[in-house]
Amino acid sequence: MKVEKVEFDPISRIIGHINAISVGVKQAIKPERITVEYPRERRKLPDNFRGLILFEKDRCISCFRCAFICPANAIQMELYDNYYPSIDYSKCILCHFCVDSCPTTALKQTKIHDVAFRDLEEMVVHTDEMINPPELVREDTVTVEYKINRELILERKKEVENLIVEVKPVERIEYHSACINPQNCIGCALCASVCPADAISVEINEKKVLSIDINKCTGCGLCVRECPTNTLGLVKR
Amino acid sequence: MEGKVEAIYKWDIQLPKRIHDAKFFGNLKIEVIDKGICSHCGTCAAVCPVDGIVVEDKPIEFPDWENKCVDCGACIRVCPRWEYKPLNGVGEYIEVLAAKSKRFKGQDGAMVTEFMATALEMGIIDRAVFVGRDENWKPITAIVKDVEQLFEETIRGTKYSFADVMPRVKELIKDYKVGVVGTPCMMSGVRRLQQESDIFKNIKLAIGLFCTENFYHWQLHEFLLKEKNVEMKNAVKTDIKKGKFIVMLKDGGKVSFPVKEFDPIIPSGCEVCQDFAAIQSDVSVGSVGSKAGFSSLIVRQENAKEILDYIFEKEYAVKGDVNTDAIQKLCDFKIKIHPYPPKH
Repeated sequence: MKVEKVEFDPISRIIGHINAISVGVKQAIKPERITVEYPRERRKLPDNFRGLILFEKDRCISCFRCAFICPANAIQMELYDNYYPSIDYSKCILCHFCVDSCPTTALKQTKIHDVAFRDLEEMVVHTDEMINPPELVREDTVTVEYKINRELILERKKEVENLIVEVKPVERIEYHSACINPQNCIGCALCASVCPADAISVEINEKKVLSIDINKCTGCGLCVRECPTNTLGLVKR
Repeated sequence: MEGKVEAIYKWDIQLPKRIHDAKFFGNLKIEVIDKGICSHCGTCAAVCPVDGIVVEDKPIEFPDWENKCVDCGACIRVCPRWEYKPLNGVGEYIEVLAAKSKRFKGQDGAMVTEFMATALEMGIIDRAVFVGRDENWKPITAIVKDVEQLFEETIRGTKYSFADVMPRVKELIKDYKVGVVGTPCMMSGVRRLQQESDIFKNIKLAIGLFCTENFYHWQLHEFLLKEKNVEMKNAVKTDIKKGKFIVMLKDGGKVSFPVKEFDPIIPSGCEVCQDFAAIQSDVSVGSVGSKAGFSSLIVRQENAKEILDYIFEKEYAVKGDVNTDAIQKLCDFKIKIHPYPPKH
């Protein structure tokens, strides 16, 4: 079989050119792109986006739960006037287990996803920096979201969105620490020494008398975790 | 909730008496460790709430106890050698018999392994603390969770050296039902722990071993190397039979000498111990009183009896003849060689 030269008919060529030019002009006037001009604008993020973590000192009861739960071991408790968390963002995997475990919502999620650090040392956000976070400076003012509307046409929607999400605190079941297995106790009084609320006290004469004041107890569970013999447990109020 | 009725929970703990004006560990150190009656059972380390007490191949110690000890007195309350009254004799028992495991090969009848395997199988325990060894026969504790692990060679056989079994028990006790194998002093420790805190009732099976003396590994190793020119690296089995210490070597050779030659390296804590048959165990196991390839068993508690019945029901082991007099003789012998208070 012989390969023949394809002949174009000049009229269809001209129509093709006109079509191409009209598409070009149309896109120049009303573009159909789906790009975001970061950093002047940003993508709209869902409300439960797991970004940078903010900390509110007044709510923190120093229960260490965030530090204990952190699977990446990124949270260390540092002594300020009490023990408060510090986060090493070089280790943090942004799982927000700490935020979820915080009994008083002292740790808060944000939608800030694009923090830049100069070096590894700077990635450790120490307690004083957690308490007094640096001011947020951003170029982007609006978020952009592409949506397919009813006519099945891609629409570009601009919105203003707050990066710091106000999450309503979950209604918690209130617990307090109690001596559930007194016969297990060896009297080490570790519970009293770790209690951040001074709710556990020990009296020593010939006997050791341990007592829990449940009005002071915040139900943080630190004593339960420290107890070497499962003597203490959390019970519902 | 306006719960003013039970706003304060209270409970109390009886403290032991202080003999010396120091923290409780200081008292223990003076009265037990420095006096040389410490048996190196490691019970104190199992209870220490701050994990300060270390059980290694040297006398028990608590580095920096002056600062780190929280002065709770738990170590004293569980120490089998505090206000020491030696236990001796065969002790109470339900049944004495000899048996040989069909499934396992071990020191004699492999009945310790068999008991633990069956307890794991029955669900009485979830974890068993065994003593394995490295190539130099230094004991390494191993935590066994299923029967398969018990077929490993290094888990089997007697090592005649102290091991840190009790601290390992502590790691497990909060979450698991535990089975323990150990010397008579460790069995006494287990009972003390169980009296002191109910958490240790999670030790569901305590197998005691017949014991006259136990050694520090480095001393035993050095003794065998210097005096007998035996490298433990080349050993496949150690044993004590008829008053002789026997080392079987890889090349088929055999070195044996009277146990009496060990006298200079016997730890002082063992010299005041008269408990040969692990009186406070659930079941005691040893070679004395049964033929070669069989283990003698002294079943003392109901839980051990239950396991034994299961073993025979499933035909995991065969019964043999036991010579109770031989066990009695060794119990009496241990009282004779280890008088308390010591003569010197």
